[in-house]
Amino acid sequence: MTTMRGATPASPRQGSSPRPSPRFDAFAGTGALLRFMVRRDRVRLPAWTIGLSLLMAYFATALETLAKTPEDLEGLTAFSESPAGALLGGPGFGFDALTIEKFLVGQYGLYLLVGAGLMGILTVTRHTRAEERAGRTELVRAYVAGRHAPLTAALLLTALMAVTVAALITAVLSGRGYDAVGSLLFGAGVGSSALVFAGAAAITNQVTEYPRAAAGMSGVVLGAAFMLRGLGDMAATQGFGPSWLVWLSPIGWSQQTAPYVLDRWWPLVASLLCTAATAATAYALSTRRDLAAGLLPPRPGPPHAARWLRGPLSLAFRLQRAGLIGWSAALVVAGIGYGSFTQPLLDGFEDAPEDLVAVLGGAQDMLAGYLGLMGLMMALIVGVFAVLAVQSLRAEEADGRTEPVLAAAVSRPAWLGAHLAVTGLAVPWLLLVAGAGTGIGAAASTGDPSLIGELVVGHLAHTPAVWLVLALAALLYAAAPPSLPAVWAVLGHAALVAFFATVLDIPGVAVRLSPFEHIGAYPSEGVNVLAGLVLTALATLIATAATACFRRRDLATAV
Amino acid sequence: MTAAIDVQNLVKSFGRTTALDGLDLAVRPGEVHGFLGPNGAGKSTTIRVLLGLLRADSGRARVLGSDPWDDAVRLHRRLAYVPGDVELWPNLTGGEAIDLFARLRNDTEPVRRNELCERFDLDPTKKGRTYSKGNRQKVALIAALASEVELLLLDEPTSGLDPLMEVVFQECVREAREAGRTVLLSSHILAQVEELADRVSIIRQGRIVETGSLTELRHLSRTSVRAVTTRPPDVLATLPGVHGLHSENGQVRFEVDGDQLPSVVRELGELGVHGLTAHPPTLEQLLLRHYGDEPAARREGTAR
Repeated sequence: MTTMRGATPASPRQGSSPRPSPRFDAFAGTGALLRFMVRRDRVRLPAWTIGLSLLMAYFATALETLAKTPEDLEGLTAFSESPAGALLGGPGFGFDALTIEKFLVGQYGLYLLVGAGLMGILTVTRHTRAEERAGRTELVRAYVAGRHAPLTAALLLTALMAVTVAALITAVLSGRGYDAVGSLLFGAGVGSSALVFAGAAAITNQVTEYPRAAAGMSGVVLGAAFMLRGLGDMAATQGFGPSWLVWLSPIGWSQQTAPYVLDRWWPLVASLLCTAATAATAYALSTRRDLAAGLLPPRPGPPHAARWLRGPLSLAFRLQRAGLIGWSAALVVAGIGYGSFTQPLLDGFEDAPEDLVAVLGGAQDMLAGYLGLMGLMMALIVGVFAVLAVQSLRAEEADGRTEPVLAAAVSRPAWLGAHLAVTGLAVPWLLLVAGAGTGIGAAASTGDPSLIGELVVGHLAHTPAVWLVLALAALLYAAAPPSLPAVWAVLGHAALVAFFATVLDIPGVAVRLSPFEHIGAYPSEGVNVLAGLVLTALATLIATAATACFRRRDLATAV
Repeated sequence: MTAAIDVQNLVKSFGRTTALDGLDLAVRPGEVHGFLGPNGAGKSTTIRVLLGLLRADSGRARVLGSDPWDDAVRLHRRLAYVPGDVELWPNLTGGEAIDLFARLRNDTEPVRRNELCERFDLDPTKKGRTYSKGNRQKVALIAALASEVELLLLDEPTSGLDPLMEVVFQECVREAREAGRTVLLSSHILAQVEELADRVSIIRQGRIVETGSLTELRHLSRTSVRAVTTRPPDVLATLPGVHGLHSENGQVRFEVDGDQLPSVVRELGELGVHGLTAHPPTLEQLLLRHYGDEPAARREGTAR
């Protein structure tokens, strides 16, 4: 690691106060740490900020190419003004007098806000808890660096990234000739999203000792923010229901600025106040814990291993168990939340103009479309679970916990196969609970219990596609661990195709590349059993190749 | 009699770094074999090749008669391994980890587990994340020592242990040898290996530079002496086995071969010695003297 040159700004000052006050001692070294973090993130910082603005530029270009005439643009709003469109887009300010830029920030802005939130969460976690967990904070703090210096520097770094991304997005939007104030406002909204979730991450990083758990908890907050504003926007689209939910969501605050329409700045005050409050809470919490510890004290566990814990398979299950419980709970809750909107959705169609309902294929088909879309979305989320499971395998190996297992009588194919088997079985299980949750929500909302069965089938049908993603991740990991992140491209592409294939006019070849586009989004489409079998066979083949590859390479070991 | 470990001309590179450069190593059944070398000499790489965790670029390795890469699983039922830096699962207790390792080797419930936990003073109810480095090391040691295996591969197994635990460890290794087990003990501390090993191999820059019994390596084992005498100590220089005598202000420093120590001590008495320190040479001093190594390895080597 680079040495911390100049990490001593707390040297006694001249003048009226010969000693720095203890108040500021806690922040000593912040400046040096910040410079050091910028240096560490010299690739990561531009990658995030430029990456997000390029995404914005891509959306803008695609939309301008697609909607050359106002009529084209009107055609696009049919979906956007539906409850499902509101869920996956936003409140849709000014869609009655639509322009490209209004549609751009109203429908796609959401993904920039989520991306910026992730950026904030990952940046704070990377520079606080991850460093602390690795033991490097201990070293840094033993020099002249105050208790609050690492967190402060991490928050300042996030602020720097937020300002950068805001400026870049403003430049991208106003560069296309959109109104300067609206562009600046949307850029500021994206930056605010990064700040708010950085504040949330500052708190979760105090609670748990583990960087991944801390990032995961913040991710749950981000997911909840997405869902709350989604439910609120759906309610607003229909003109009744709890539309006030958007005001509970930091993503909602950024969206409620209504760039290019109302140009309101005041919702961002809520973002800034929330950031300040969460940061202050994090500072207060951090004084109540020891370095490298979480807020909860460690508890003793069993002196002997449970009888069933006796092989690679049971070990893999034991290691994934806690995560599985968390994922199951989260998917059930999310499912019930989205499912419970089925009846309001149907009511919305009854009130909608006849021709709009006809365009969407009639109310009954619209219901099926919504339920099918839910299944596809949950399948993509379970795909994220599968990739994270393989990523944790990579961490097992890199941290040196795989070595002693393989030094016992466990073969490499057995070790990798056991983990893949557990994750592979977890995939249909998670789809089942997600489908059941959505089904229960939908059934409770409509009073039609048959929806439970339809949704469970619709969700479970995606299992082979997720298996293929899992197998691809396993193959990349087994062949060359550093190549593993490439698998995110498969999921990202699949998500893009799933939600925007028609709107962005993605060519058919590119659509068919996605593993999620072959089985069919039941109940709006039939289940293609043959496609499912082909995907399963392909996944099995690739997973087998992965175990063979893993047999051939050196284990990554600490030197 | 087949050798427990038989390595010939082993080569292993990581990118442009050559970790093993034609290494030969022979460990006889039933012996405690010291595997000595400074940090970065290739000890861990060798042991990981012997475990089939790394694949050698060329050369031949046989462990208990089998190829460690091809027969890893069958072989691992007959051996146990303690890495120099033990990592445990954060949410499994030490006791769970010990049981798990035994079961992964198809051992029945290891009888000596609880006894060893007591001797090493380990609380098996604590979670992996709460253990200090020394305690994580103990977990791996207990798991290895409790098992009824033929071969123990110990890679700097006592790093992080306090001197009391070091003594317990030495007892355990002696018991293992009495039970007929073979031990490969890697270390960068000469004194630890001298205490336990029947034979020693010294590795330097990926090659074995010395191998033999401790008596055979006696020429390597000199004691450094520092004494204050009333009479001039010049006569010491004439004694056999005394090297590098240096005296100044009534204080004398020299090194003496182990087998000549009695006569030198007698002579020191004659000279009216009233201050005396003696210590065995560190590995770095040895390597420096014999091979002109840069003292780069000294930092960690002299830490204990």
